[in-house]
This record gives sequence, C-alpha cells and structure tokens, in this order.
Amino acid sequence: MSRHAAPRRAAAQPPSDLPAALTAAGPTPADTSAAPAAAARGITGDGGSVAATGRRRLRRALPGLLLAFVIAAVVVLGLLTRTDDDTTPLSPGNATPTGSRAVAEVLGDQGVEVVHARTLAEAEAARARLPGAALFFSDPNGWLNEEQLSSLNRSFPSRVLAAPSEPQLLVLAPEILPAGPAEDGRGAVRAGCNEEEARTAGEITGGGQLYSAPVECFSSPAADGGTGASYAAVEGTVVLGNPEILMNGTIEAAGNASLALSTLGAGESLIWYQPSTADLAGATGTPANPLELLPDWVNTLMLWLLGCALLAMLWRGRRLGPLAVEPLPVVVSAAETAEGRARLYQGSRAVRHAAANLRAATLSRAAVRLRLPPSSARAAVVQAVASKTGRRREDVHSLLDGPPPSTEKDLARWAQQLLDLEKEINNS
Amino acid sequence: MAVSGRLVLLALLGALPIVLFPGALPALIWAGLLAAGVAVDLLLAASPRRVGVRRALPATVRLGEGCVGALLLSNDTGRTLRAAVRDLWQPSAGAANPEQRLRVAAGRVHRMEVSLLPARRGVLTTGSVTLRSYGPLGLAARQLTLPAPAELRVLPPFLSKRHLPSKLRRLRELDGRAAVQIRGAGTEFDSLRDYVRGDDVRSIDWRASARRRDTVVRTWRPERDRRVVIVLDTSRTSAARIADEPRLDTGIEAALLLAVLAQHGGDKVDFLAFDRRLRARVDSGAKANLLNALVRAMAPLEPELIEADFSRIPAQIRSVSPHRSLVVLLTSLDSGAVEEGLLPVLPGLTAQHLVVIASVRDPRLEELRAVRGTAADAYRAAAAERALLDREAVTARLKQLGAEVVDEHPLELPPRLADTYIRLKAAGRL
Repeated sequence: MSRHAAPRRAAAQPPSDLPAALTAAGPTPADTSAAPAAAARGITGDGGSVAATGRRRLRRALPGLLLAFVIAAVVVLGLLTRTDDDTTPLSPGNATPTGSRAVAEVLGDQGVEVVHARTLAEAEAARARLPGAALFFSDPNGWLNEEQLSSLNRSFPSRVLAAPSEPQLLVLAPEILPAGPAEDGRGAVRAGCNEEEARTAGEITGGGQLYSAPVECFSSPAADGGTGASYAAVEGTVVLGNPEILMNGTIEAAGNASLALSTLGAGESLIWYQPSTADLAGATGTPANPLELLPDWVNTLMLWLLGCALLAMLWRGRRLGPLAVEPLPVVVSAAETAEGRARLYQGSRAVRHAAANLRAATLSRAAVRLRLPPSSARAAVVQAVASKTGRRREDVHSLLDGPPPSTEKDLARWAQQLLDLEKEINNS
Repeated sequence: MAVSGRLVLLALLGALPIVLFPGALPALIWAGLLAAGVAVDLLLAASPRRVGVRRALPATVRLGEGCVGALLLSNDTGRTLRAAVRDLWQPSAGAANPEQRLRVAAGRVHRMEVSLLPARRGVLTTGSVTLRSYGPLGLAARQLTLPAPAELRVLPPFLSKRHLPSKLRRLRELDGRAAVQIRGAGTEFDSLRDYVRGDDVRSIDWRASARRRDTVVRTWRPERDRRVVIVLDTSRTSAARIADEPRLDTGIEAALLLAVLAQHGGDKVDFLAFDRRLRARVDSGAKANLLNALVRAMAPLEPELIEADFSRIPAQIRSVSPHRSLVVLLTSLDSGAVEEGLLPVLPGLTAQHLVVIASVRDPRLEELRAVRGTAADAYRAAAAERALLDREAVTARLKQLGAEVVDEHPLELPPRLADTYIRLKAAGRL
C-alpha cells in the first residue's frame, strides 16, 4: 500500500497547484547563474588599442583610398591637359582637322613668330611688343563691333582676313566687296591671276565665301549665279574666302599649303587673332558670366556647406555597432503542395482528373456519413444517397456516377452541385 | 570615432561668419575651432576600452513573456562616461530599448536594462555591446564594439496547458471508475469502498464485506508505471506552417501536454526529438522536474531541412525503453514521406509497442475544398480533395498496421492526443 501512496497523492493534488508546477519552467533566480561564464566575469575592452584599430582601419580602407587617389589624379590630369585641348576652328593650337596647328607650326619652323591672341587687348599688346607684325584675323561670329574693328584697322597695316563678313570688310578693306558663297562641289579652283602667291600655289580647294576686288584670284562661280574670287587683295590686306585651306584636314590638298604659308609667312611675326566672348564683354560693358553677379562669399559658402554635408554624412552614417543578424526560419505553407497541384491541373486543363478527385472525395464522405463500408460499390452509394436525400435516383446517378464534365465552365458548376448534394446529405 | 549632430550644427552656424566677413579667413578660423573642439573631445572622452561590461541575463524565458537583459557597465576610468550604448540583440528578441544614452560617474557601475519580449522560440543571441563615449563638449566620440556574446533560451509557451485541468480531472475520474468498467489483467488493486448501485457485483470483496456490516467493493485503478515514449519528428515536414505555426511547434505543444498528463497519470515519460539523428532527449529519470527539463530540451529545436530516417527510430526507442511502451510519433501524414519512411518500419514497432501517430491537419485544405465558384476554385478544390484523400488513404494504411492515428487541426491536436492517451489508459492497453 505504501508503495503506491506517493504517486496517488500526487495524482490527487487539487488543480490549484498547477501554476506552481508550470512556472518552474519560467525564469527563476537560480537561472541567472546558468548564464555563460564569460559574461559573468565581465568584459573590458576588445583586446585592441587605438593604434591597432587605426592600423586595421587603414589597411581595410587602403584599396578604397588608392582608388580615390587614382581617380583624383586622373581628374586633375584631365583638368591640366584640358587647357591644351583647343577645339576652336582655325586656332593655331588646335590639332583636330578643323584647327590650324599645322600651318602655325610650319610658320614657326620657318622663323615666323606666331602669337595667338584671343582678345583685342592681347592682340594690341602683342602688336606693341612686335612692331611690324602682320595680323591674321578670323571672326566668323562677328563679335567685334565697328569701333573695335577701326582700332584694329589703325593698329595693323598688314593683315590677312579669313572669310570676313560685310561689316568687317567695310571697316578693314572697303574696296573689297562680298560676292556671296561659292557654288557647292566645284573641287579645286585654278589661280588665274598674276599675283605671285596665287601663281605659285596653282590650285586651291574651292568653296567658302567669294569676293570681288581690284585683285582677284581663284575665281569660281557663286551660288547666286555670279562669280567671285576666293583670294582678294588690296594694299596691305589679303582676304582668304575659304578658311579651309588653313585647316589641318585640308592643308595638304592642291596648293593650299603654298598659298597659306606665302600669305601668312610674309612678315617676321604674325598675330593670330580670334576674337572671343571677352571682346564682346568689353564692348557692351556687361559680364558674360552671370555667376560673376554673385557676392564674393558664395564660393566659400558653397565649399563650407559641402564640408558640412560631409560631416552630416559622418554623423548619420556611423552606425552604433555592427548590424544584428537574424537567422530566419524556413517559411513553408503546408497547403503549398495542394496549390501547386491545382495550378498543374489548371495549366494542363485536367478537367476529368479534377472531376474524378472531387467525385471520389464526395463518394467517400457520403459513404462514411451513410454508414456504408468504404469498399461498397458506387451504385450502392448512389442508391443510399437518393433514398436519404429524396432526390431522384437518376439525378444522383448522373452526378455521382455519370459522365464527368468536359469543360472548365461545366466543372465549376458541377463541383458546386456536388457540394450542394453533400450538404443535403449532411443536413437530412 | 564618431561625430555628433552638435558638431554638424556648429559647422552650419559657421556659415554666418563666412557671409558676414567675406574671404577664406573666417572659414579657416571656424574650421580650426571645430577641429580643436573635436580633438579636445577625443582626448578627454572616457576611454571605452576601460569600461567593463557584465551581463545579468535570465537563462530562460517563456515565449510571450518579457524579461530584462541587464548590462552592468563599470566605469573604471577617472572620467565621467557619457555614452551611447547599444546591445546587439537579434531583432526577434524584441528589445524595446537596445540603444540608451547614459552617464556614469568615474568609478561607478551603471545598470542598463534592456526590456526583451522574444517573438520566437529558440536560442536568441546577442553578439556585442557597442560603446560610444562622448567627450565633455559632446562634439565627437570614441566608439568601440566589445565582443560580449550571450544567449537567451526562449522556451515554448505551453499554451495547451489550459487543457490540463480538465484532462487531469478525467484522469482522476478514471481512478474511481476503473473498477466498474475494467477488470483486466493490466489493472491494479487500489482500495475498498462502499458498494453503490451500479457497481459490478463481481468486484464485491466478500471478505472485506464480512468484516464490515456494509457491502464493500474493490476498486481498481488504471495501470501505473507504464512507459510513454514521445518521438517528435524534426525533419523537413515539420517546417511546414499550418495556421501560421510550424508543425514542429504544434508538436511541441502536444508533446508537453501529453507528457505532463502522463506524468500525473503515474507513467514514465521519455522524449526524443529525431530526424536523422537525435536532436534532443529527456529521460524519465527527470521525475520532479520533467516539464522544466522538457521545455529546456525543446527550446532550441528547429526544423531541419532533411528527410527523416524512420528506420533508426526502433533502435532509438529500444535504447530508451526495452519494454512495451506507448510510442507517440508526432509527425506528418504527407503521403510521400510516410509511405517511404514510416510504413516499412511500422509493423516492427506495432509488434512490440502501442503506437499512436499524431499529426496536424491543415484547416486550409478544408477551406480550399469548399470554395468552388470558378474553374480555378474548382481545380483548387480538386487538388485539396486529392490531398485529403491521400491523407485518408495513409491513415487507413496506418490503422491497418495497428497504429492509432490522431489527425487534428493545430489547436485541437494537443487535447485530442491527451484524450487518446486517457482512452488507451482507461482501456488498459498501455
């Protein structure tokens, strides 16, 4: 008896003692001591030092720093070399096909000092330095006004004009008149005059602007039907109607080079003047760059704000410790296989297969409900269902044992009918 | 190192002198001042390398209950520690305030309390503690991440314990009722009591009745000291979620209820978690503290994405209990897995033991089955019906082989399994 006494008392305990038994699973003071021993001892420092951390950071950041340095170097180099990268057509520093570096270099080799001027002031300063220098003038944009042109006219007695416009001619060479653009596609043009430079050259590339003047060479038909010359000269002034003969790309064609060098290389020095927007600014008295309207401190402020933005990035970007990692559990819905099978049925339009499943399930549940053995024949189930629900036997038969539906539309309706029948069986 | 918002604000204020006094000089002066402030802060900040961190953490907490994970920060420097501290709990630990600003005087210890409300059963970890110690100006800080790993074991919630009182009552009723209904070899003599109308006359103890004036019957109580072996399948099928709970967790609930009930019924309970190898085991030796031992063993269980190897289960059960036992297999009845794995070994098991196979049934399948409005719905209903039919076929096979099958919805499984146990016990079949 005593052998069984203890368990029996345990079993006879009132239910009220349950919570005590269950909370034994919860946290108790004794649990704290079970915490990992390392945590109980306490941790001071991470075993490193400021210098070690610095070295580690540096090592880790080194590839990035190197990359940044390379990028910065490339940018700086690009900026430095960009000054040489002249793309103005006819510029003596421009080595592209539209530039005139070839002519300028050859002139330099022949002992002619070529000075590139971009503003009137530069041109006149060079003129003061090199008395007797000739002027090469090309201003296709017409940036110089009449006053500036007259100043130019006074300063340079000897000049070569590249395709000048009518206003420029009016000031610099009133005897020469424009004769319109040349007719397209004429190819080379013959000299056809007694000027020595032209005769030596023989032929030059046709095109560009045409002029009429006391001395005309390389005459060709104009686009408007008249004729004009590509080379016109009066005392002290030569007009080259087709600046292409000076360009790197076409300098070697026909007698272009000969004409260019003989025209430009007449004196000891040449001031190559191509007016720029700076001349325009001087003329009108308004700044060309709207940024110059801003107060002085804007640049400093912008830089400062950039610095502030970097600081703000440091402030917000520095995380308080590493990211926390969550080992995520696998999430599989148990009904997923059924859903997948449904899609397969649908994808292959397995109407008959689906119908067979639905019918088999209904039959098996009806058999259980009507207390028929699971092995009973369909006919028996149909009979039992008919008598239970009071439906006509033929109807029940067509639903449970007749031909299954063949289209999807029929399937939905038929499946609903099966469900209704089942409800009827369960309710009756 | 880290900078504070205060530094950024001061830097922005620097725009004022730049606008008022044009030129680079005010900018340089201001930048110099800021740099000096940062340098002072970095030099005068309490070194985070000399701050001791200790944890005071409960080893276990039940899912759904909160706890406090405390950090004891001892400032061993000679300076006041002004710091932002972060305890790196994994997100599912539900830390409400893992980041705190605090101020610890030199030589003092501060207790930083982080409220935790775990959202998942299992072993939750925290990897490190990050200290960001600001200087006196609050412009810049030194930052250090200390490796301070700790883990918190989150125990299963045992929500099914609400069924326990009613099941225990039934178990106790069984004690009194057994004499009238059962007179099998497996029952044991319990006590004598007065005859009441309806008692089986065969159980009247004539000798005792002779001693007293009244008629006395012997009562029998159900068998005791039988063995219950609960085997929890942790293979891939246990990862499937049913009603937003993994099958494994439902199995744990059912196992806990059954274990507590069986213990109160005087039986020895062994628990195994198994897929291809043993994941957890609780022996019947842990008598008084069975529930505690069970929840601790179950806490770290996770579904393993491998196929269960049922062929090793008989050997495992034999190693736990060489005698006839009630073997409860908490697994799934998915047709493929059962046919290939469980069916071949079942005859061997049922020959020696009483086998109950408990599985969670997916209520979603029944929902899918009942919706048949469109063709797509009908196909889905057909697929659900197919799954249910397969399940029934598997159940029928298992029953044929002599196993009891409990196939219920997640909330119903624990009490139904308990009922099955009580029924088997009442029938003296253990």
